[in-house]
Amino acid sequence: MSSKAPSANNLNQARQTVQQLRLEARIERIKISQASADIVKYCNQHQKSDPLIMGIPASENPFKEKKPCTVL
Amino acid sequence: QLRRCKPLHWPSLPAQRKYMRSPLIPEMATQEVQLNETLAHLKTESETLKTKLEEERAKLHDVELHQVAEKVEALGQFVMKTRRTLKGHGNKVLCMDWCKDKRRIVSSSQDGKVIVWDAFTTNKEHAVTMPCTWVMACAYAPSGCAVACGGLDNKCSVYPLSLDKNENLAAKKKSVAMHTNYLSACSFTNSDMQILTSSGDGTCALWDVESGQLLQSFHGHAADVLCLDLAPSETGNTFVSGGCDKKANVWDMRSGQCIQSFETHESDINSVRYYPSGDAFASGSDDATCRLYDLRADREVAIYSKESIIFGVSSVDFSLSGRLLFGGYNDYTINVWDVLKGTRVSILFGHENRVSTLRVSPDGTAFCTGSWDHTLRIWA
Repeated sequence: MSSKAPSANNLNQARQTVQQLRLEARIERIKISQASADIVKYCNQHQKSDPLIMGIPASENPFKEKKPCTVL
Repeated sequence: QLRRCKPLHWPSLPAQRKYMRSPLIPEMATQEVQLNETLAHLKTESETLKTKLEEERAKLHDVELHQVAEKVEALGQFVMKTRRTLKGHGNKVLCMDWCKDKRRIVSSSQDGKVIVWDAFTTNKEHAVTMPCTWVMACAYAPSGCAVACGGLDNKCSVYPLSLDKNENLAAKKKSVAMHTNYLSACSFTNSDMQILTSSGDGTCALWDVESGQLLQSFHGHAADVLCLDLAPSETGNTFVSGGCDKKANVWDMRSGQCIQSFETHESDINSVRYYPSGDAFASGSDDATCRLYDLRADREVAIYSKESIIFGVSSVDFSLSGRLLFGGYNDYTINVWDVLKGTRVSILFGHENRVSTLRVSPDGTAFCTGSWDHTLRIWA
């Protein structure tokens, strides 16, 4: 049977939840338009040096060599 | 087959306090009424705050990410193929991690083995047999001189890697973390000295490797925590975790406080990964979607899904610039997403069973996947 009387445990848990929510409600937020603009800007700045997007010539990518090198 | 433990009822309801029910003791009855009122009051406040949180977030929802990205040039065709296949595990590969040297990899398996590979040559450099099966987590130390791993043993252990290949690594094993349920993920922080862990016991924890001391614990998930990722070092001492409670939580490592929480997934979150700038993170879930959450806007800003994709995502990671998001899926494929435009740019085939783990190499030249088909593949 479940207890109908609230225990200190339930109360503590509820207090913690409220405290956590108060904390989260208080944080400063920015608009998605600004947040998105920053994400786009970061991608644009770094895309040219992203090997999986730009591709690297086979000669420079150790994984793209035709024969895996063997260590003698 | 291992099924993740379904949500814990945590903490558990205590046994009835018989004396509280008796109306014959008036003071006790009054106390009970007071406690009831307080609890009801707290629950009301809790609901009010949740509504307020949603309203605040909604106010800032002035546009979608893909709309802002309309003018961005579309990506070209991708040719990504399996360049190496690492064979040697006797059962499902569950986890892998890259060494900072961009060529070594550590992987762990259901068969209890942890293997260190040279991904260029596919040679096995070290192998350790753990005392348990289902080694669900493994990580390479920043120095490259040690690996950490754990799983059904509820622990995270560190093995220093010896230059002498004949040396028995198990002899030097150091037990660092102790949880009360399985270890789901682990990661060294900026140095070999500290490890962050997540567990089926619903908590994350930060440990000192040398002493095994618990430095900080993180409570807040209502069920198993399945994954974690540390923020890029420039952005400060935070990390994100995801769990069976469908929540992704961002934590302050020093205080143990949960600073932000996101609950938009419809099922377990199996993987979380920070965007390279540290201002956002991606998640992958059993609900078959990947999502992007912006930390400064405090909300989900993109969802990567298709009607045809119905199997869960086990693992996600970004390319170096953050433009691509790779997702390993339970339908054996890898889907590659354009993070800005929200579209899928490629689908990769090759594994013969679930993709369970996926990481991009430290210099972004390749990514590695591990699968229930017992193999790991390097793609580039």
